[in-house]
Amino acid sequence: MVKYEIVRSRDLGEYLRTKILSLMNQRIREIALRYGYRSYMIVRYLDMLGSMDEVLKLLESFERPLKPVIRCNKLKVHDCRYLVNRLSKLGYTLERLEWEPTAYRVLREGSPSLGATHEFLLGFYYLYRGSASLLPPIILNPSPKDLVLDLAAAPGGKTTHMAQIMGNEGVIVAVDISRIRIRALRSNLERLGVRNTVILRMDGTKINDVFKNYFTKSLLDAPCSAEGLIQIDKTRKVKTELRDLLKFRELQLSLLNAAINATTSGGYILYTTCSIAPEENELVIAEILSTRDDVRVVPIPKIINFNDAILEYLGMELPQDLKYCVRTYPHIQGMEGFFLCLMRRY
Amino acid sequence: MLNEEILKGSGGGISCYIIEGRNVLDVIAKLFGFEAATLLRSLGKLMICEGVFKEVYIVSGELINVIKVIFKSGRIPYSAGLYLGRLRREKPKLIPSVNTIQIIYDKLGFRRALIVREEGIKPFLYGNDIIKKSIIKCIEPLELGDIVGIVGEDNYVYGVGLSVIGSCNELNSLKDNDMVARNIFDVGWYLRGGTEVRERMFKL
Repeated sequence: MVKYEIVRSRDLGEYLRTKILSLMNQRIREIALRYGYRSYMIVRYLDMLGSMDEVLKLLESFERPLKPVIRCNKLKVHDCRYLVNRLSKLGYTLERLEWEPTAYRVLREGSPSLGATHEFLLGFYYLYRGSASLLPPIILNPSPKDLVLDLAAAPGGKTTHMAQIMGNEGVIVAVDISRIRIRALRSNLERLGVRNTVILRMDGTKINDVFKNYFTKSLLDAPCSAEGLIQIDKTRKVKTELRDLLKFRELQLSLLNAAINATTSGGYILYTTCSIAPEENELVIAEILSTRDDVRVVPIPKIINFNDAILEYLGMELPQDLKYCVRTYPHIQGMEGFFLCLMRRY
Repeated sequence: MLNEEILKGSGGGISCYIIEGRNVLDVIAKLFGFEAATLLRSLGKLMICEGVFKEVYIVSGELINVIKVIFKSGRIPYSAGLYLGRLRREKPKLIPSVNTIQIIYDKLGFRRALIVREEGIKPFLYGNDIIKKSIIKCIEPLELGDIVGIVGEDNYVYGVGLSVIGSCNELNSLKDNDMVARNIFDVGWYLRGGTEVRERMFKL
């Protein structure tokens, strides 16, 4: 086992490539072929999960579609039973999530589709592909007194959820760079009746040109490979090579450093991705902990039974503080593969 | 108006400024009554952003503090607070947003509204106009060529129309399929992607 600090001082990419190659075998190639993945991904899954049985469970779960989830928008709906009743008249069967009283898993779809009902158009609910996207706002739990930064905010599921938690008070600054996606962000904010948010179209890595030491809470749901969303997009089985993951990591590091710099001393920063790739998760946080002394990882409230983050990866020993970061897997928590890490700035 | 200007910024060919907005509130008062203007004024000041369009937002004191920082950096917000609507030089002088109209109706009751049956709301959500036979109730004041709230049987605002009649009495002289209000904006826009430029024909 070699310490992360030693690997990072040399060439992380070369280390990972060499290690993956050394662990490749015929059985891994066969499984990759059977499920249609790049074989390097299976090597990593085996290292992360510890046994081929677990890997097969993960791959099988990626074959099963996710049940969509809706969040009743309390900014527009006083009593969520009103929404449930209206949707049941359209043929929908909903089941409330145990850990989020305003969210419902859609067990049976009615007509019209969830993105076309009057209730959707009136902003009574936000539609999610899976339930994991509900976790970040609940964990960050902003109050009406908070100044919140939402970096890479579009299309706005988490922004609108935080606005709901804040009762449309306080301030959220929602930042995104994409001209197309920011229109969707504005459209969703307007549809859901969000009034406490300023949208800023700019490169999130340059946010410190505008804000430094400013926000009490910052959320970075970072752009990623979406390796936790293979149920929804099967092209992700082959879309991303290791070098692509490392490019994502560079962007994620730039954004996370910017988010930390934008956060005031004593403030919280939540880093999340919809990816199960350690390169985009633990290896990002490990780099932050290795290069900054003003930020610490803090425990995440146990909203659900999370999986622990990975502390050893491909022969690397990662910083012990990563034990406070958490993961979800489709075959364990029944939701998208997700990574969440809460930090506090000092 | 310049006297009350307190803050401004510009970027990308658009300039924004934050004002008390008495002129805009006068337009609101004319459309929905003095109490509607008072209600909206209680929510904050106005940020007006002017480019091809002239859009108005209501921003709280807390949001203004953040916008000040953004202006100082040489940028402007993409949007902020409650989108009140779009200002024009000619009639209709203001195209209010669905949220603005809903806030007014929720607090002060219906006014300048057409209550439309479900059979009329469905085509309206595909961009069609409102015809006489769809209307359950017409609520004054209506004005030829000015805006009217389009409300469903569930009392929710589904869009904004442009009245082609001068008062509810004129409905009596119309045939079933005659247009009563032209579709300016409907919430079906959110289904159509929410990414197209809306109210395209209503520039400054």
